[in-house]
Amino acid sequence: MGPLIPQGIIGAEWSHVIAILLGMAFGFVLESSGFSSTRKLAGVFYGYDFVVLKVFFTAAITAMIGLIYFNYLGWIDINLIFVNPTFLYSSIFGGIIMGFGFIMGGYCPGTSFCGVAIGKIDAIVFTGGLFIGILIFSESYPLINVFYNEGDLGVIKIYDTLGVSLPVFIFGVIISALVIFYAVGIIEKRVKKVEY
Amino acid sequence: MNIRYIILAAILVISGIGLFFIPITESSNEIEPDQLMAELFDQTRYVSTDEIAERIINQDPSLLLIDVRMADYYSEFSLPGAANIPLEEILNPDWIGYFEQDHMDLVFYSTGDIFAEQAWMLASRMGYKHLYIMKGGLNRWFETIIKPVKPEVTASQLEFELYAFRKGANQYFTGGGLADSDDSVLEPVKVNRKKKNAVVEGGC
Repeated sequence: MGPLIPQGIIGAEWSHVIAILLGMAFGFVLESSGFSSTRKLAGVFYGYDFVVLKVFFTAAITAMIGLIYFNYLGWIDINLIFVNPTFLYSSIFGGIIMGFGFIMGGYCPGTSFCGVAIGKIDAIVFTGGLFIGILIFSESYPLINVFYNEGDLGVIKIYDTLGVSLPVFIFGVIISALVIFYAVGIIEKRVKKVEY
Repeated sequence: MNIRYIILAAILVISGIGLFFIPITESSNEIEPDQLMAELFDQTRYVSTDEIAERIINQDPSLLLIDVRMADYYSEFSLPGAANIPLEEILNPDWIGYFEQDHMDLVFYSTGDIFAEQAWMLASRMGYKHLYIMKGGLNRWFETIIKPVKPEVTASQLEFELYAFRKGANQYFTGGGLADSDDSVLEPVKVNRKKKNAVVEGGC
């Protein structure tokens, strides 16, 4: 049956409408879970709040398990799902920039817009910086495009690279997630609470 | 520890174990044999030498001819405006600019049909669109455009019209007149501008 748009069950014109609806729902859930607070997001780095880590790990696991079972039940064709190609060097470099921005500003791009939506001044400044960054990137693209496009590994999957089968990999991720959740729970108890 | 967390963790572990027991269709980029069969028998990928001649004369901007013969053959003779991508080099990323576009019809040709067919197969396997083959290749080009044969007297009007077009095309491509002085009446060259094959995408 799915994916609905590539299969033509929903017209491609609807993709933006669906994206807006999903985006609004995502933003609503982020905001109501307290993700528009920089202190909560930065808590991962200081060890007093690991909700961000738990949420995104859980999302990854749920999506993984869901996709495999949906594929098995014939609700979605896993081969039609778009997989981002891997560009090794730009991924590493971009990850470092993103990490610095995250710890300095206390937002990731998605949550910064949640902050803007509820009128936080720091979030507005953060998104301003984001647009300046986009401008600098776009204008300097001719200078950096060689590096940007280097290390193109194509569409690769981590379980192929590691040489393990898909179920083994997913099971490994589930177990490590549970262990990490338990461990960060202990850390949270030891670290002094921060009120925010 | 909260009982809810234990239940949720158990659900995750159980569904993770369940993955070992269900078959997973690994992603493969292989084209299915029946689809390949259908594509092989699809005749729409062929264009005739006459159509190519007409489009060259009309300077159709959506036509991109690709000569898949070796470079030295290409330098000896090629169709006007054709690019040379030898078959062995077709996977070379240098040529990607020719393939990755969707507003031109790429027409492969070689001496006969075989190399052009192979090039078509490789390019369509790489996922490129608007690929065509000049049916019969340069051999057919010579038979039809460079040395057209006058049809029998009993031939249909259509064949005479085609012959007239070919003679006109011959003059265009060779620069000289076709030596058949016995043909007293010089019929006008009828060149119909055909509609472009490229489908208009999007828009209203």
